[in-house]
Order: sequence, then structure tokens, then C-alpha cells
Amino acid sequence: MATTSGNIKEFYRQRKKSGVSKPSNSKISTKKSLKNSATFGSDITQPSALISHGSPDLKDDYDENEDMLRKFDMNMAYGPCLGMTRLARWERARSLGLNPPEEIEGLLKAGKARSDCLWDGRV
Amino acid sequence: MEAMEIDSQNILQRKQATYTSMDDTFEIHKETYRGQQYSQIYYTRLHLMRTLLYSLAPNWKPHLPVCTILELEKDRECIVVGTLYKHMKLKPCILDEYSKERSVTPLVKPHNFMHPDDTLVLEDDSGRVKLSGNVLLPSIYVTGVVVALLGKETDAGDFLVQDVLEAGLPPQIEHPLKSGEDKHVVFVSGLSVGGSTSNPLQFQLLIDHITGHLGDEKEQGIAAEIVHVVLAGNSVEFPRGLLNGQNLASKDQSRLSEPIKELDIFLTQVAASLPLDIMPGSDDPANFSLPQQPLNRCLFPGSSAYNTFRSCTNPHCFEVDNIRFLGTSGQNIDDLEKYSEAKDKLEFMERTLRWRHLAPTTPNTLGCYPFVDRDPFFIDSCPHVYFVGNQDKYKTDLIKGSEGQLVRLICIPKFCDTGVAVVLNLRNLECHTLSFGTEFGS
Repeated sequence: MATTSGNIKEFYRQRKKSGVSKPSNSKISTKKSLKNSATFGSDITQPSALISHGSPDLKDDYDENEDMLRKFDMNMAYGPCLGMTRLARWERARSLGLNPPEEIEGLLKAGKARSDCLWDGRV
Repeated sequence: MEAMEIDSQNILQRKQATYTSMDDTFEIHKETYRGQQYSQIYYTRLHLMRTLLYSLAPNWKPHLPVCTILELEKDRECIVVGTLYKHMKLKPCILDEYSKERSVTPLVKPHNFMHPDDTLVLEDDSGRVKLSGNVLLPSIYVTGVVVALLGKETDAGDFLVQDVLEAGLPPQIEHPLKSGEDKHVVFVSGLSVGGSTSNPLQFQLLIDHITGHLGDEKEQGIAAEIVHVVLAGNSVEFPRGLLNGQNLASKDQSRLSEPIKELDIFLTQVAASLPLDIMPGSDDPANFSLPQQPLNRCLFPGSSAYNTFRSCTNPHCFEVDNIRFLGTSGQNIDDLEKYSEAKDKLEFMERTLRWRHLAPTTPNTLGCYPFVDRDPFFIDSCPHVYFVGNQDKYKTDLIKGSEGQLVRLICIPKFCDTGVAVVLNLRNLECHTLSFGTEFGS
């Protein structure tokens, strides 16, 4: 009602719906590496073909290493994961005597994996 | 006529004692805040204490199963370990500001927030359960204490408590008492130099006594037995009226720094004579949340030139002649007083030792840094002397633990109000007071 010009069309601009709509302002994951960014709130447009090779491509691009790290994040025995780097959490688990698996340390120290937990930047 | 002799044959030497600082765990060092929340410190606290309580449980109630809260079954007696949460009706809550029915009573009541309807809840990382029964009294416990409970789940879904196990006093390194010579440590707190209630003459009298400038030889002999001085917080009081958010005029700027300059002049006299520890308190120019970091040495240009001057953290842990001291400037005990009740402050102090945690109400109602990998307030070794500063009255007691631990508890009164300092004898852990008055009888 406040618009003085009768430019309603300009005001309510039609948006094309193409596959998945992306949110317009995503300050959340601008600094994260694009390889492992979460789909929600990211600024990579989802490829329009969600079905590839005959099966729904529901996985974001994370590999089995990331999957193992996510399981480590979600393991309640090692405490909350948000607010710490994965390596710091692993070190804490070791110093508290919880014997976390060695492969996780190897993966994290190799440097290719995401250093923050899966919820970081998403919550 | 005989020449006047300076009595050089009677030079009194001050006694010496070894000193070790154990404040490392309270210092922040290179911690950087990465956006973490307090869940991390609660997890670390629960883990540390749960490991401890699990090891104590078989001796307490042999042959009873231990389980987590989610594994509780109806009518099966078992032991659970978790963090207590006290639900308090009167505890100020930020949401009260937005509540539609606002009564005439003020939002924040000043002193104690207890109410007969307070209930306790036990929480661990799997779940939480309401506690019922008469064994666990909500008036004694506060949020943040980790205990082991024996009981069973009732039909109503809550946990009926039959018995409680607290961690108890930690193990203590043996120290033979009644050996050696008399050496004294002086405790003072609440000097509030520069404040309206403090009397500089009283403090000057104390300093003159400690440094041996007062009295005859016998009195100086007593002063020579003082080996250490501890200032337990609130040493300075700034004129807060000046800090009203506006730019300070230059004459106000010098007024603002006068109290700390005055304190520095006093402390230079003390540091020139004997080792001195100064701890920050709630009114001092240090950070707000515990553990408070040492006051910056640039505030004390005169005294920090001496290596006897030590600026320490709050809480402060140190050893003099192998006797372990642990103490705070009072915030932990004052906070317990707001959320629980006891017959006196010494009972609060004893409870914190038996719970093995200096400040269980952090971070719930007392500010603390969100540590991620440790809880520095966990007491792992029992001190021989446990002191708390800035209290109303001087009180002291000797408590005994189940494994022969012996702890001297000291409540140090505010010097600006009472003119009382506390003296502890290291030989037998006995305490007495030094009181200074500047008013002459009418």
C-alpha cells in the first residue's frame, strides 16, 4: 500500500521456479570450501537433474571418509561436537581416556577432510 | 660518656619459606574463543566426575547395577550418575521481562532465590529425570553438582532417591603437622583502597606491623615470622560514578586512576619486605568471568619492580613450605548463598570440597569461560588450607575427611568494614586475627 507508483509488477516480481529454488542471501557458507559445503544454504545451485545414473542422487558430494568423520561427530560418547574442531575433539577424547579410533586422527591430520564438524555453519 | 650504639647485634631476620605457584590451570594462556557453548564444559565436568563416581560406587553399594538415565527401568533399584539441575521458581529469567502478567513485585529479588517448591532434576548425556523423595534436599544442592544416586524409577516417571553419593574430599598429600618453627601467612581481603569506606590509616597500620615498623623487639619478632601475604580480592575501589558512558575530562581521568596508584604505593612497601600475592576480585580491574586473570603488572609500576610481587589468578592455588593453599575472592561462595542455604559460610565451603568442585554454579549463574577440554574448577588434590575472601565475618574451622585429610577453612572478612586480617600458623594450621582500629574510645 505504500508504493506510490503503481508498479505492482515490479514490486511482486515473478520468480522462475527451476528445479530447486536457492535462497537469495547465504552469508553462512561463503567462506567454506565448496567441495564439502552442505546443500542447505549453499550458493552452489543444485544441478537440475536430481536423478543421475538411474537412481536418485541424494548424496551431496561427500565421500566415505567424510561419512566416517560424521559418524565420529555424532557419537555421543565423545561429547558435543559443535564449537570445536574435529581434531580438538579427538584430542580431548584421547586425553579423557576414551580411546577414539586412530583412523580418524589420520584422516584429520592428512588435511583433506573438513576440520569443522558437520553442523558447523549450519546451526 | 659511652658512644650510642645502634643495636646491631639484634638484627632480626625475617623467616623464609619456599613457594610454588600452581595457577597454571586457571590461566587462559592461548585459548581463543571459537564460538563454543557451555555444553562442552558441562560434558567435561560430567565425564571427569562420572569416572570418579563409578570407581567409588562398588565400595558404596556393592552388587548394585549402574546405568545411564535412559536405561532406567521401573522398580529396578540402580545407581545413576548425572549433573543436578535445580528448577527454581524465583530464579530471574530473561523471559520474565516479556511475560504478559507482570505483577507489581520487582523482577529481580536481591538475595536468596530459594522457594519451597524448588525441584531437582538429574541429567546426563542420555536424558534427564525428575527426582523425588526426601533424601535429596533441594535447599542444599545447586545446579551443576555431579552426584551418584541410588534409587528406582516410579510409576509417575520420576526417580525416587534412596541414597546419595558425593565425590567426597579428594586425596591429600600428607603433611606432618606440629613440626618445624612458627611461620605465619597473612590473609587480607576487601581493602577497597580509594573507596569511601576504606580508611587508609588502618591499612597503613597493617603494613607497618607486617613490615616490622611497629612495636618493640618482641612485636617485631612476631612480625619477622610472617613469611607471606595474600590479598584475596577487591583491593581497589574505583569511583564508579565517573564511569557513566561519557568521555572523561582530564581531571576525571586522574581521579579514576588514583585508587590504583594509592594501592601501588601501599603494596610497594609490602613487596619490599616479603612475598606478596594479589588476587583479583569482583570489583577489581580484571575480567568478569572466572577464572579471573591476574591483574596486569602495568597497574603496579612500583611494586612489580620487586620479584616478591606476584599477581595471581582467582581462584588461586599455591604451596608454601609444601602446604597446599587454595582460595578464591568470594564469588563462588556468594553465588552458592543465593541459590542454596547453609548454617554459615563454612558449610558452603565444606560442601564445595565434598563435591570436589570450587564453583559448581558456573556457568549457570556465575560467569565462567567456556572451556572445551577441561574444567579447571575441579579439585583433584585436597588443599591443606582453603580460604575465601570478602566475607562478612571471620570464621574458621578444621574439617576432616574420610581418608584422614585435614583442611583448615578460613573466611576472610572485608578489611574496609571490619579492619580484620587473618594470620595462619604454618606449623599447626591454627588461625588468629589481627584487628586494626583507628578510633579512640570516647
